Amino acid sequence: MRLLLTISIILTILPSGCSQEQPAGAVSGSTAEITYWPAPNTQEIELAETLVLAWNKLHPEIPVRMQPIPVSQSTEEVLLAAIAGKTTPDVCSNIWPGALHDYTQAGGLVSLDQFSDFDSVVNSRTPRELLATFQSSDSHYYQLPWKTNPVMMFYNARLFREAGVDSIPRTYSEYLAAAKKVTRDIDGDGEIDVWMGERDIRPIWWQRLFDFYPFFIGASGGSTLFRDNEVGFENQAAIDVFAFFQECYTRRYFPKTFFQGGDPFNLEKKATNFAGPWQVAQVQKFAPHIKFGVVPLPVPDSHTGPVYTSGDYKNIAIFSTTRHPREAWEFVKFLVNPGHDLLLLRIANQIPVRGDLLTNQIFSEYFAQNPVMVSFARQVPYTRGMDAVPDLQEIFDAISQEYEACAVYGRKSPAEGIRDAAERTRVIIRWNQ
Amino acid sequence: MKATLKYMLLILGAVVFAYPFLWMIAGSFKPELEINGFSLWPSKIVLDGYRAVFTKIPILRALINSLIVSLSVTASVVVFGSMVGYALAKLEFLGRGALYLLILFTMMIPFQITLIPQYILMVKLGWTDTYLSLIVPAMMSGFSIVLFRQFFAGVPQALIDAARIDGCSDLRILFRIIWPMSRPVIITVAILTFMASWNDVLWPLIVIRERTLMTMPQLVTIFVTGGEAETQLGSLLAAATLLALPVTLTYAFFQRYFIESMASTGIKG
Amino acid sequence: MTGSRLWNSMRPRGRNGYFFIIPYGAFFLAFVAYPLIFSFVLMFNRWNIVTPMEWVGLKNFLRLFSDPLFYKSLRNTMLFLAIHIPLQAVVALGFSLLLHSRVRFRGVFRALYFFPVVVSGVVVTILWQQLYSFDYGILNKLLTIAGLPRIPWLVDPDFAMPSIAVMATWKNVGIYIVLFLVGLQNIPAELYEASQIDGASRRKQFLHITLPMLNPTIMVIVVLSTIGGFSLFIEPFVLTGGGPMQSTLSGMLYIYNQGFYFSHMGYAAALGFAFALIILAVVLIQRKVIETDRTA
Repeated sequence: MRLLLTISIILTILPSGCSQEQPAGAVSGSTAEITYWPAPNTQEIELAETLVLAWNKLHPEIPVRMQPIPVSQSTEEVLLAAIAGKTTPDVCSNIWPGALHDYTQAGGLVSLDQFSDFDSVVNSRTPRELLATFQSSDSHYYQLPWKTNPVMMFYNARLFREAGVDSIPRTYSEYLAAAKKVTRDIDGDGEIDVWMGERDIRPIWWQRLFDFYPFFIGASGGSTLFRDNEVGFENQAAIDVFAFFQECYTRRYFPKTFFQGGDPFNLEKKATNFAGPWQVAQVQKFAPHIKFGVVPLPVPDSHTGPVYTSGDYKNIAIFSTTRHPREAWEFVKFLVNPGHDLLLLRIANQIPVRGDLLTNQIFSEYFAQNPVMVSFARQVPYTRGMDAVPDLQEIFDAISQEYEACAVYGRKSPAEGIRDAAERTRVIIRWNQ
Repeated sequence: MKATLKYMLLILGAVVFAYPFLWMIAGSFKPELEINGFSLWPSKIVLDGYRAVFTKIPILRALINSLIVSLSVTASVVVFGSMVGYALAKLEFLGRGALYLLILFTMMIPFQITLIPQYILMVKLGWTDTYLSLIVPAMMSGFSIVLFRQFFAGVPQALIDAARIDGCSDLRILFRIIWPMSRPVIITVAILTFMASWNDVLWPLIVIRERTLMTMPQLVTIFVTGGEAETQLGSLLAAATLLALPVTLTYAFFQRYFIESMASTGIKG
Repeated sequence: MTGSRLWNSMRPRGRNGYFFIIPYGAFFLAFVAYPLIFSFVLMFNRWNIVTPMEWVGLKNFLRLFSDPLFYKSLRNTMLFLAIHIPLQAVVALGFSLLLHSRVRFRGVFRALYFFPVVVSGVVVTILWQQLYSFDYGILNKLLTIAGLPRIPWLVDPDFAMPSIAVMATWKNVGIYIVLFLVGLQNIPAELYEASQIDGASRRKQFLHITLPMLNPTIMVIVVLSTIGGFSLFIEPFVLTGGGPMQSTLSGMLYIYNQGFYFSHMGYAAALGFAFALIILAVVLIQRKVIETDRTA
């Protein structure tokens, strides 16, 4: 007993502060050290290591030290805590636009447009119209759009063919018509063997980032939830999206339960999936025999113009605790030059936010080798991110609950669902003013 | 009531309470698609679930964390609880009655009120993601004090007086004389405290984020709700079985003590 | 004189008591008094830990009174208790009566029934999540075999909370079986003998002797189950996330979401306070209603 007490005391005194990060840029001497936090997944860490190594060779006087974010926490939590404790890094490349408001409100970020070459760097890379969506309400840019994962529709070619679906559905009606053919019980055991699609029915707020949100951006022609700081989704487009998903559940084209034993798309139990480029590597690894294609999401029948979708961006930011903003900016520029954007494609299978992916020669070999990624590259200019409003999580949570009540359980009409979602959003904003 | 009917009902009860656990253990060894069958015997033993658990999460580390935390808390509650209980029962000092009432009052405070402020205290002290946040707020318990006090009140005063005449300090009296004769209450408090500490998930979820510091139930909870194992039933059941293992083993040997501790607290009503 | 010296050495010295309780005193100040006081301050503020606290007066309570989720979580808890408490009392009483009569292997049965109590709630929850699975769970398989329709245990807003109540009963009823056994053993046999002489039927004996004598145990069940019901957290957290359609949102889960998911610490503190008041009120009412006059 006493031994255990002693051990526990010792263990608590020892660095359990392994979870605490070192203060940024704290190095003695004349070198300006930069700390860099990449996202905590294996591919991006590998990419980061490669990039940091290359940089340190070129710029030994500005060494960069890479530190991965602990996996057990969300990056947003870690960064907010770091901002509060003034232990932020110099540069982080896992900035979620939805949390930007929280970061800037706490004064944690440096405005990037203060650097004289900001304009030329970003304009040569990112389409103007898209770039504007990353501007904060005070007209400054606190984030540099880095990579995007456009949500698109994957489809299983064989399942479509066998069900007699000749053309890939592009509108809601076409999708539902195809669903009717595809969702069926093949072996006569009373259980449906192939579903048209499947979504997690739990009202977890970020699940909506793979159904309601991208579909809404598509149906609304590129609008996000808020317009001029007002609720901007109380309209026909949102109602159409709710109605579409409600149809899928009432007609049982989507199941209401979990699948056992693995990803249903890889198991060929569902014919379509709404996901981003990460899914490509997944399918190729776990189910290489599946011949799949990637197309833009379905839109309402009356829709005209290009199909937009949500982009699930991760951006780069420089933190206000940095002692070497100029050097940090140089490193950021280094991260987004074309050669390194190519590495982002190769190593992490994610799409850099570039408008010239299909025109710039540097990338042509990559896209020749990976034709499926071309669809994503084409989608890049037609992606949208998140609004920089506070309590975005809670708002999505409210929308999720209305989505659940309307689409999954059919207890409200789409109009009612959207009306209630908008009303609850306004309440949330009002209460947190 | 006919004896056979009685036994049938009792056996039915035993099945209802025991079968699910057996199913869980069997399922953790079954091939994925077989798991949802009734049989308790896998067609072949498959260790994929266990492999997934051991490779994806630091479950052994979590076991050690839980042991360290729960044993420390139990030791502390027993030691300090007996001290305060002894003071309340056998020592006279100003405010003794008031203190007792105060302790009773603290037992009535629902933790819904104290949860958030205690968490903030942990943040301010910098104790989040350390053992301190798991151990220190649980180091003393009003419930244990009340149990000890009640038991010690029954100790003959003459015994204590005799010891005092011999020159024993109160500390000595408590630990050398009273403790050895207090086995039932010490065991009761120890078991109840250990169980409560081991099974607590809400508090660790709040103060510990670092995987390697999580307690065992907490880690399994994260594993199950975090989506890593979600569609692999074998891993879920393996994680659950592993989590149940320590308590089951202890229970197998000490179940009489478990049950009696529970029963003895109920007598108070 | 030797007498007074003897007396002096026997009397407990007034200071020793303080020495013994100082550790507890420090603990109390730090982990009971401070959180309580801080909680009272916090509920009138808005705070997300990162940015400074902001005084909002009664705004959190205004929000609480018009918060549909607050009322929903209350209703959910009431539904849970309405099913859980009677079910638990009846099942526990039933099994304890069976075990109390002359049966063999009583210890074995008792140990088995008690086992779910000691096992972690997480294990029980994971286990029942599979049992309750709509498409693959063995409960529905049993129903299908019996020709009955499958029940959407956890995926229908009307069934989810009752399912959790049943699961909670299964987990905890062991304690109450044990408590009832102790209570039954404490009923003096003479009472039964005397009533038998008076010609009382078994039913009368049960209603007029057994139940009233078990009243304190029943009181314990009701109070503990109530407090447990208001503390329901890990079950909805793991099983349903509060759904479907918020039908399993418990008070504790709502506080957790508001405080640790959305970082509304002030509002979470206000919620905690409100629930604490409600718990106290409910327990007081229960004591009044259930405690019958024992001298009857």
